[in-house]
Amino acid sequence: MLIYKQTLIGTVAALAALSLSSGAHAAPPAGQLLASQCAQCHGTNGNGPGFDELAGKPTNELYNELREMKYSQQIEGIMDRQARGYTDTQLRLIADYLAAQPGAGDD
Amino acid sequence: MHPLNRRQFLKMAGAASMLAALPRAVSAQTVAARVVVVGGGFGGATVAKYLRMWGGNVQVTLVDPSPAHISCVLSNLVVTGALPMTRITLGYTALAANHGVEILQGSAIAVDPAGGRVTIATATGNQVLDYDHLVLAPGIDFAPAPGIWNPDLTPHAWRAGTQTTVLKNQLAAMRSRDTFVMTVPKSPYRCPPGPYERACVVADYLKRKGRTGAKVIVLDANASIQAEPEAFTKAFNVTHKGWIEYVPNAAVQSVNSSTRSIVTTARTVNNAKVLNYIPNQVAGGIAASLGVNSSGYVPVNPLSYAIANYPDIHVIGDSCAVPASDGKAVPKSAHMANSEAKICADAILRSLRGEALDENIASSSACYSPITSKTASWLSTNFIYGDIFDAAGNVKGKGMHRVDIGEAPAAEVGGDSFEDMFTWADSLFADCFV
Ligand SMILES: Cc1cc2nc3c(=O)[nH]c(=O)nc-3n(C[C@H](O)[C@H](O)[C@H](O)COP(=O)(O)OP(=O)(O)OC[C@H]3O[C@@H](n4cnc5c(N)ncnc54)[C@H](O)[C@@H]3O)c2cc1C
Ligand code: HEC
Repeated sequence: MLIYKQTLIGTVAALAALSLSSGAHAAPPAGQLLASQCAQCHGTNGNGPGFDELAGKPTNELYNELREMKYSQQIEGIMDRQARGYTDTQLRLIADYLAAQPGAGDD
Repeated sequence: MHPLNRRQFLKMAGAASMLAALPRAVSAQTVAARVVVVGGGFGGATVAKYLRMWGGNVQVTLVDPSPAHISCVLSNLVVTGALPMTRITLGYTALAANHGVEILQGSAIAVDPAGGRVTIATATGNQVLDYDHLVLAPGIDFAPAPGIWNPDLTPHAWRAGTQTTVLKNQLAAMRSRDTFVMTVPKSPYRCPPGPYERACVVADYLKRKGRTGAKVIVLDANASIQAEPEAFTKAFNVTHKGWIEYVPNAAVQSVNSSTRSIVTTARTVNNAKVLNYIPNQVAGGIAASLGVNSSGYVPVNPLSYAIANYPDIHVIGDSCAVPASDGKAVPKSAHMANSEAKICADAILRSLRGEALDENIASSSACYSPITSKTASWLSTNFIYGDIFDAAGNVKGKGMHRVDIGEAPAAEVGGDSFEDMFTWADSLFADCFV
């Protein structure tokens, strides 16, 4: 919502009714930024279009798959590489975030 | 009468501290922070979208001279005629409709960092926009060419659009025994595997069209292949054997567009049929105006992409130089521009809320490169924020440290990767522009 000069040049009371805000009131959910780095291949919020849908998958399933790919001996697909780009703690944050996203129920 | 932005609001209110004391409960009315984003390519589109998606009441204006961005990604397949231009044309209407991004058609021509204003040249005259944060994502410009270069005659096709069509038409006019000469710019340049990919798909096209004896000469200003060395060495020496000649250490000394001739430190070619001169690259002009490093790119803070001395001015994508370990530079790619845009958006929103920047961050890049009309290779790389190292292994500061890099193993270079290339591109396009 925009404020016009006229509104502002008012009383202190008018000023007090205003709050300076970026609009985002709460701190972002943990893992949001890290998980956004999967969206180039799995869609915004892991929700497609792209490779396997990630949104709404159980967190442990995601985390275990990610660790499996990260520690795979033989690199096969590109995902075996991408999983190597994060610490285990980061993978846990990512899995938790993606699991909480509403998915379309696709694979 | 113009709406006040946050900066003006603070000026009028006199003191930020007084505002900070206001109770949250009375925040029925709020002053939207204003972010101006210059450049609607992969970086700019993504930062605009994510600021709105994550930020709620942030007013975002995206400035670009065109009503749609034409993607370099997949553009080599437009050069060969495999894809139509519409396939790589990415409009801004979805950003406006889905995310409330305001689109302004125009070019940024001047930044006033102290005043917090940017001047935009539009069809109806100049507009001066106030900002709380300014994000510059203008991509690349070309370093001055030695000699007489006219890109209408000897195209670069390193920014997609008209140039892509010029090169496509010249390639289509090639006949048997004709020569296609191209240059690989000195690193760092946009898309490390891109020039080698182009050599491959052009050779593949000439072969498929039966242009017997035609040849692609690759004049590389660098000492060796800059990305996916295994895949491209094999492509040059085996897959396209006899069609591609690779010449390293060929720094360009002079270009003559009217005769399509080029002199380099390793080889001179006169009267090529096609001269695809891809010049050395630097930051887009509007970003470069704020100060560049010795390579011509703008140094930024890896946590916020802010430039030195101005925490409210950010440079992302191809234009920026991110502190990294020696020999492990952050590549200039669309995927990376998207990755940086998200870190930048998050940092802007945190700083508007007065929070500390997130240090638990990562960035990444991936490229799928067509080798023929049916096969592709890929490249993947990842970075995590933390200590960065000099060539001797000593810590030299903080930045984005490369934790992984790798190209497709030989068995992965093929048809499946070619299919995956389109899945990836569609996903990336949508994450940036939809
Ligand atoms: C042949 C080729 C193949 C490629 N393939 C891949 C790939 O497979 N994967 C990959 O990740 N990357 C690829 N890239 C690289 C990728 O295209 C770039 O790295 C990416 O576009 C960089 O994004 P950016 O936002 O920095 O700049 P851009 O996407 O170039 O966007 C810059 C925008 O800013 C606008 N602009 C410039 N100056 C101004 C101004 N003053 N005012 C307003 N607007 C302005 C321009 O019009 C443009 O729309 C390829 C590049 C090429 C050339
Ligand atoms: C460069 C593109 C790319 C990026 C970036 C990427 N992925 Fe993937 N991902 C893939 C591909 C391709 C597959 C499919 C693998 C297959 O089917 O063999 C995949 C598959 C997966 C799977 C399913 C694995 C299985 O076998 O069930 C998970 C889980 C996953 N990715 C998670 C992630 C997460 C989390 C991130 C971000 C940290 C991420 N991906 C980033 C390309 C990518």
